[in-house]
Amino acid sequence: MATKTATLPKKKGKKKFVPSIVAFACNWCSYAGADTAGTNRVQYSPHFRVIRTMCSGRVTPGMVLKAFKLGADGVLVSGCHFGDCHYIFGNYKAVEQFDKTKGLVRTLGLEDGRIRLEWVSAAEGDRWGQVIDEFVDQITKLGPSPLNPQPKFEE
Amino acid sequence: MDAGRHPNIEVLTNSELVRLDGRAGEFSATVKRHPRYVDPDLCTGCGLCVEQCPTVVPNEFEVGMGARKAIYSPFAQAVPNTHIIDREHCLNGDFLVCSNCAESCDRDAINFDDRGDEIELDVGSVVVATGFDVYNASAISSYGYTLFDNVLTNMEMERILNATGPTRGHIIRPSDHEVPKKIAFVQCVGSRGEGKEKGCAYCSRFCCMNAVKDCMLVKQHEPEINELLVYYIDLRAAGKGFEEFYQRSLDMEELKYVRGRPSKILEDPETKDLIIYVEDGETGKVSRTRVNMVVLSTGAVAAESNRPLADILGIDLDENAFFRANGKMGSPLETSKDGIYVCGCAAGINDVSDSVAQASGAAAEAEKHVAKFRIEEKPREIKELDSSGPPRVGVFLCNCGINIAGVLDVEAMAEFAKTIPDVAHVEVNTFLCADEGQRQIQEKIVEHKLNRVVAAACTPRTHEPIFRESCQQAGLNQYLFEMVNVRDQCSWVHTNVPELATRKAIDLIKMSVARSRHLKPLYENSIPIDQSALVVGGGVAGMSAALQLDAQGIKVTLIEKEGRLGGRLNDLTRVYPADLSASELSVNMQQRIESGRVEIMLSTEVEAITGFVGNFEVATNNGQIKTGTIVVATGADVYTPGSEFGHGRFANVITNQELENILHSTRGTLEIKGQKPKTVVFIQCVGSRDPETNPGCSRFCCPTTIKQAINLRKNGVDVAVLHRDMRTVGDRAEEHYRHARELGVKFLRYTPERKPQVVGVDRRAEKVELMELALERKLEINVDFVVLAAGMVPNEESSASIHDILKIPRAGDGFFMERHAKLGPVETTTEGVFLAGCVGGPRDISDSIAQGAATAAKAITIVSRDTVALDPTTCEVEQSLCRACGQCVEICQYHAPSLVDVAPGMKAAKINQALCKGCGTCASWCPTGAISALHFTDDQIDSMMEALLTGGA
Repeated sequence: MATKTATLPKKKGKKKFVPSIVAFACNWCSYAGADTAGTNRVQYSPHFRVIRTMCSGRVTPGMVLKAFKLGADGVLVSGCHFGDCHYIFGNYKAVEQFDKTKGLVRTLGLEDGRIRLEWVSAAEGDRWGQVIDEFVDQITKLGPSPLNPQPKFEE
Repeated sequence: MDAGRHPNIEVLTNSELVRLDGRAGEFSATVKRHPRYVDPDLCTGCGLCVEQCPTVVPNEFEVGMGARKAIYSPFAQAVPNTHIIDREHCLNGDFLVCSNCAESCDRDAINFDDRGDEIELDVGSVVVATGFDVYNASAISSYGYTLFDNVLTNMEMERILNATGPTRGHIIRPSDHEVPKKIAFVQCVGSRGEGKEKGCAYCSRFCCMNAVKDCMLVKQHEPEINELLVYYIDLRAAGKGFEEFYQRSLDMEELKYVRGRPSKILEDPETKDLIIYVEDGETGKVSRTRVNMVVLSTGAVAAESNRPLADILGIDLDENAFFRANGKMGSPLETSKDGIYVCGCAAGINDVSDSVAQASGAAAEAEKHVAKFRIEEKPREIKELDSSGPPRVGVFLCNCGINIAGVLDVEAMAEFAKTIPDVAHVEVNTFLCADEGQRQIQEKIVEHKLNRVVAAACTPRTHEPIFRESCQQAGLNQYLFEMVNVRDQCSWVHTNVPELATRKAIDLIKMSVARSRHLKPLYENSIPIDQSALVVGGGVAGMSAALQLDAQGIKVTLIEKEGRLGGRLNDLTRVYPADLSASELSVNMQQRIESGRVEIMLSTEVEAITGFVGNFEVATNNGQIKTGTIVVATGADVYTPGSEFGHGRFANVITNQELENILHSTRGTLEIKGQKPKTVVFIQCVGSRDPETNPGCSRFCCPTTIKQAINLRKNGVDVAVLHRDMRTVGDRAEEHYRHARELGVKFLRYTPERKPQVVGVDRRAEKVELMELALERKLEINVDFVVLAAGMVPNEESSASIHDILKIPRAGDGFFMERHAKLGPVETTTEGVFLAGCVGGPRDISDSIAQGAATAAKAITIVSRDTVALDPTTCEVEQSLCRACGQCVEICQYHAPSLVDVAPGMKAAKINQALCKGCGTCASWCPTGAISALHFTDDQIDSMMEALLTGGA
């Protein structure tokens, strides 16, 4: 179960980096899974903000790039498991889109680890918490995005 | 939840039927409503009372493994979502005066003086769906349930595996709360037994798959568990996709299936481990195995309430006390009284998808008696407010009792919201979803001329419809409402970091206000529909669908490619388990169809279908048909064996189907190809459970073989059945299996690695050789005939053509895929198109009849209206930007986009709103940005990111 809030060891005199993460969640599986996490009172990191779309296939490379351009440190795209997609094959299209996104993110000089594609079902509240914790951890370790004009630090 | 929300469904929970008078079409039902002591209209389900209640009792929903208070909500998704007081344990009584709950309730919802009441209902029909009881495992004393701590039932295991269950999904054993390293599942506890001590004679059908599923889940939950044992007699993975699931479980190293029924289970008093004594069904060796935990796969028994309920309803029960259909012409939905129908496990043992199909079927039967009273939905006349002009956003924040306000600083959120540009009004409410909160929203919309409403509360997935409805009633277009999830995805999951959670909530509000500025009013279009139905296929499922549709006055056309109705029924002799004559059943159904208003088109095949729900155009070789909805009931084929088991080489190696034809044509004299046989050997699983031909289990062949074996045996023939598992899961099939054994039919097991060999000379098979598993020796049986139990495969030709025409996806086994394996067994991803019978997978006759009725019920929900409302959150093409590349046409699974002529020689994409589901994938794919996904447009999404990341509004 996801319980711990992702943290980096606190260094003396240095403020801890707080990542800005945009998480796109599809309405039918991942967003519902995040609600299930709530019903189950799963505790996980608050350092992300969800944007709901109807399907993970709706998320364009442009949206992800826009997030980075505006200063996001990481972007998560989450949809239904294969075979579970409410729209049959939308998540397969999400994979294709994500592959394109990956190439573009590299071209921008960003690390691969700043983007992530995940499948979380409506029942997988725990998993949603885990995915968020892991991703927050990963981005915290990577540090602020070079495109982020004003990285946030703990006050 | 859907039923609870439905405007035409009144749910009476905590209530009981006490009397039923009258007859079909005009019943009068007396319902006793037991006191709840909590007014569901006032209770918001906030749970403050639960915290204050001092009484703790075992929680029934957790099978006693968790605790609840005397005031409680039965379980998380309970409808109505309200609390109830268990007065037996409540400390407010004649001598006790606790009223903590009443004191803690802000809404005065608690009433200790509630006495319940009785109400009279005028109803046309009754559906019995009262389910089953779980077999009481402590009745089998040799398994030690309740005596030994670490012997659990499958029901308890289900709760343990559940993430919301008593252990939060952690697998621990009761005695020491340690993770058990080795778990054994014991099958057939209370099922397939003999005598009272061993439980019921029938097979409970679901327990095998339940154990397989649990084993898979156990491993996912606790990788530490290193050994899983399943003790079983026959592994009955007989349902769509079940065999494939079971085969996947065989890849798990930790999981071992052991054939054998344990004779006893003892506990090691020191370690609390358990020792299982079992005779291995394959080797005959008796073994003792030590495990850390045992799960008993308890079966189902008829609910105890069946008998009193049957008395009230005045209907018969079968020998097992189920409301079994009376067998009249094979319909599993009928009871012994007209107007009363039954579905699910009240009727007998059924799994989820069959229960769901039966439920729809029972609804169709029930509707027959009330079809003339169909309710017309009145369109609402509300003048819509002018929402144009600069945005004036109203932000409403909900405390949700302490659910939100207990963690988040709602006042600070409200203060922040006031500083966001365009926000014209901010308000905090204790329960925004309660009537009062809704009224506030409506009043403020008018008072402050709000043209956008943002609510920061629970989750749009449950409450958006309620808020939208309120906005619409106040005259604000419902698509100008936006919801912020600050409970399920914020206060509940960041409880320990309230400051960070509040900051997150403020960000989310900012994002939603930004998005709300870009929202546009959307309007539901409705299109007129053709109020008729087309049934493709005149077999038993198709005829059942046509009969039900006709009974409700729907115009039906039934098309059949052959020259007569009946389908496979025409090839059968007698139909188990009711022992009906197949031809009588077929003729009966045909006569009922012919005497009705169904238009029958024989020798007719579908050539092309265009259009969409409500408006299909179907081209056939006999002309064009217009229809609102389509039921596909084109059946399946029986597998034609190749050269396996000497088929084709030896004239006396035949299939089940050929034997059926012979039984049919010789009228029981059994002269197979000129001679009366002395010995017949059946070989099961030919073209089933075989990755080469058909990976799935065909489900019907085991009962068919039993039926034929009994028939032969009664005529003095020696019969042996060579099988892998006898899967007699259908209605009374297990009892028939037992009867066959009593008659002296021999059952011998083979494994796929060592298949039986059919040996013969010239064109005649003389003997069957088989490795006897227990004795490890070769067995030879001299035979006159070998009967191959050929499975069911999709009809390649018709399935391929329907797939091409209707675009219904096909599963790995080639059968059509339903919308949802459990919850939508007769629906497809194409709206208005339904599946009945074997076209979706192997099924027996009664399941096919139930499915036919189910498709009728589904079809009627569409064609009983004269228009169909279209969800406006679809995709839209700006044709001036479109360069007609056709990519959207290619990727859409619903065929919503098509290229149309916009000017001479110029094409552009157009999206059919009736087909579009609004996923927005085409919008993300469109290279020129010509497509926008309404309500999820690029600028709506961008505005959220801008608000979040640039700090701007």
